Amino acid sequence: MSDDKYEQHINAVLSECPEASREEVKAAFEKYESEFYIPPQDALRSIIRRFKGEMNPISTTSNSLNQTPKVSKKVASLTELTATDRDIEIEVEIISHNLREQTIRGEQKQIAFGLLEDNPWGDGGQRNRWEFKDWGPNSNIVPGSVVRIEGASVNEYQGRMSLNINQTTRISILREGTRPVIAPGEPIGINNLPKDGYVCVLGRVLSVRPDQIHKKDGSGSIDVVRGRIADESGTIGFLSWEPFGHEVGSLVKIDGAQVRTFRETPELNFGKTTKVELYHDSNFADTDSLMQNNVLTISQLSDGSRDVETVVQITEWAKRSFVRDGEEKFLWSGQIADLTGKCRMSAWEELPIKESELPITVKLKGVRVRSWQGIPDITVDNSGQVEILDSTPWDDSIDLSTHVIEVPLTELVNGSSRVGISTEGIVASVRDDCGIIMRCTQCRRVLRDGSCNEHGDDEGNQDVRLRVVIDDGVSTSSLLINKEASLNLLNISEDDLKSQIKSNGQVEFVQSLRSKLLGKLLSAHGRTIVDEQGMMLLADKIELVVQDPALIATELRTKWGVM
Amino acid sequence: MQPSRSIKRQAAFHMLASEFSDSTLNEKGSGEFDPSFVITKLGSKVNRVIVAGLLERLEPRETSNGSTLYQGQIRDPSGVYYFSVGDYASDTMRELALELSARVEGGEPILMLMTAKSRLFQTEEGAIYTSLRPEEACEIDSNAYAVWLTKACNDTLERMKNFTDSLDHEPTIESLTKAGIPSNMVNGLVASRNHYGDIDLEHYNLNIMQSLDIAEGKIEAATTPPQQPLTPIEDGEKAESVVNDEDELSEILLELVKKLDQGDGVDFETLITNASARGYERSMTEEKIESLSDEGSIHEPAFGWFRIVS
Repeated sequence: MSDDKYEQHINAVLSECPEASREEVKAAFEKYESEFYIPPQDALRSIIRRFKGEMNPISTTSNSLNQTPKVSKKVASLTELTATDRDIEIEVEIISHNLREQTIRGEQKQIAFGLLEDNPWGDGGQRNRWEFKDWGPNSNIVPGSVVRIEGASVNEYQGRMSLNINQTTRISILREGTRPVIAPGEPIGINNLPKDGYVCVLGRVLSVRPDQIHKKDGSGSIDVVRGRIADESGTIGFLSWEPFGHEVGSLVKIDGAQVRTFRETPELNFGKTTKVELYHDSNFADTDSLMQNNVLTISQLSDGSRDVETVVQITEWAKRSFVRDGEEKFLWSGQIADLTGKCRMSAWEELPIKESELPITVKLKGVRVRSWQGIPDITVDNSGQVEILDSTPWDDSIDLSTHVIEVPLTELVNGSSRVGISTEGIVASVRDDCGIIMRCTQCRRVLRDGSCNEHGDDEGNQDVRLRVVIDDGVSTSSLLINKEASLNLLNISEDDLKSQIKSNGQVEFVQSLRSKLLGKLLSAHGRTIVDEQGMMLLADKIELVVQDPALIATELRTKWGVM
Repeated sequence: MQPSRSIKRQAAFHMLASEFSDSTLNEKGSGEFDPSFVITKLGSKVNRVIVAGLLERLEPRETSNGSTLYQGQIRDPSGVYYFSVGDYASDTMRELALELSARVEGGEPILMLMTAKSRLFQTEEGAIYTSLRPEEACEIDSNAYAVWLTKACNDTLERMKNFTDSLDHEPTIESLTKAGIPSNMVNGLVASRNHYGDIDLEHYNLNIMQSLDIAEGKIEAATTPPQQPLTPIEDGEKAESVVNDEDELSEILLELVKKLDQGDGVDFETLITNASARGYERSMTEEKIESLSDEGSIHEPAFGWFRIVS
């Protein structure tokens, strides 16, 4: 359309690379802008780098055996590559990048390895993940960034394909990485560990115990060491595949540990290449104070955690029996609570707890956490893990069975599932299926056209439910309001609601609901289920927050100084 | 670990019309189901909005494929949101559009609130327009409108603060994150700073003051449609003031071109919006730009881009 639009930038490129063709430079700018929305001022550097590279071809030395002229093979997907491909061009996202010292031909050299994925722009599409080795190492390769790799070669070893990035390979950044760059040998806080990758951690050993992992195929077991280490930012469990000789209380520097996430819980793995050494720092927090940090609240429990220490109040407790392998077994379970929320607890051994003495405050040590329908369930394997306390560490006048914890919506969305919370959000959507629904008589699933997904045709039980979306401008959550709360909110009886919908129609009913709710601030109390689909809040109490615009306006003027 | 690929619902912005309609930048991933965003000057990355205002117009229009498209506009104190309800909209939304269009036709003032998806498109001539696709909507009373205004003002003020804070730092993801800009605003601010260059926040301040006045009940503007001198001016007195206005407008436009030119000239839409922020009608500004171009005060090195003739 307009040659002049890029004029200035084209000239800048040409002054750096006088041999480049004006047309090609222009085409490059257009491509950046139209395909990647990268404006010319941002694309400038990459384009200069590219044309400079093209104009001064790095002499294709050492490739003397290769008689064919060098033509770079440009591919969109890693699957298009074969083991013999040299000088390929592809755009990828860098997933991880780890530096390592290696002795090559008697010389200490720094190289890097990591993971990359193709199809970096296609969100939701199929991505292939390969390992790569970076012999540069190239400073443009940063985790999270999308780069164009020109001149890499394919390596095949024992059937696994990987990419070799050489010193002559050109790397251009197409999108900056958003993830923190982790330098090797530079310890990072335990609370800030990435979800996977190689890390360096400085921490004190809080617990160590030998364990065995039984191979699934029954071919034997491996001796491992499990434990927990802590720094001032938090604690993390570890699993060492190698002997681990450090005692509880030792301060250790661990370089090259791998973070793996089991269920929702990250864990450090120590292997052959991990360096664990004693470290001296008299200012580092002592074991006792770190032990304090290791005490988790219910809101901090995550599925798959082990060696958890916590203080909770047991509010309900009951014995159950079940039959397994023809033998009757017992299980004790109930509700527990602390100031941050509620959840379940199960024990495989009888605990000295009488129902008549509830609520009882206990300190739990070394217990595991499993989640069921998103709600954490603390598993007590033996009664030695439970210590009964005389008093609560919090104000014991608080009745935890009615205590409500207010949590901002975004915090809930980013956390794990919780019980007994309340939050606020603006109604951003009122779903068309609000109102009277029929539930399967066997499984409570909502019937569609009188039929259950699982159990087929069913006459159904009538229920009332509202389904909306609440939003705080950053995060959103689905909100399901139960019968009692729905009828309260609408100030109507179930029968009246039914006849109203019958006479006016479902569409009219939902539209009237929108007039009442859409755009309004709602406070909801209940429990949350957080998974990959996002968050769902199951509410048993709902309230429209009454807002006085004149008052808010005056407050805003004061807050922001708008007169 | 890869960030989760499942598509989560996009959060909604509370936003005055001026911030949205000033936008000339959008962002869309290449995948089929990637969300698209309009990026405003204040760095909001908008996929969904909750907006409210006076329903000023809502008319059915037959499209070439025989279906009916409802086109409308709602006005808040800062300007107008354009929206259209087409075949893709839900049945409830279409029914509502049908009902409301009849009532607007009859001259009834209607305050409405809607949640809508953002859209930005460019005509073949290069002009950029923003519009909305309503998802859900309802009529509201003036109290609900006032509450919405306060929320939109508060959020705009927060965005203005983030924007101003960001000016002390390089517009990169890394440096803005380090500077403590909320993570949900960082990407948008980087894009906005790189695209829009220097921007003037003053008219947003004016919009906020007006909106707060309405929320406090100081003006009765909420339900009266603002006067729009769209019809050509007839009587002599007005014509004179128009002549003065025109001289002033020339000066303003020349000033704008001089000030906003970053080497490539200033684009047409920027001039229109800036002039309208100073109270000049689009049609008048368009004409003036043309006449300035004709008399040789400004030239058009590229289509739609203007520079001072020096």
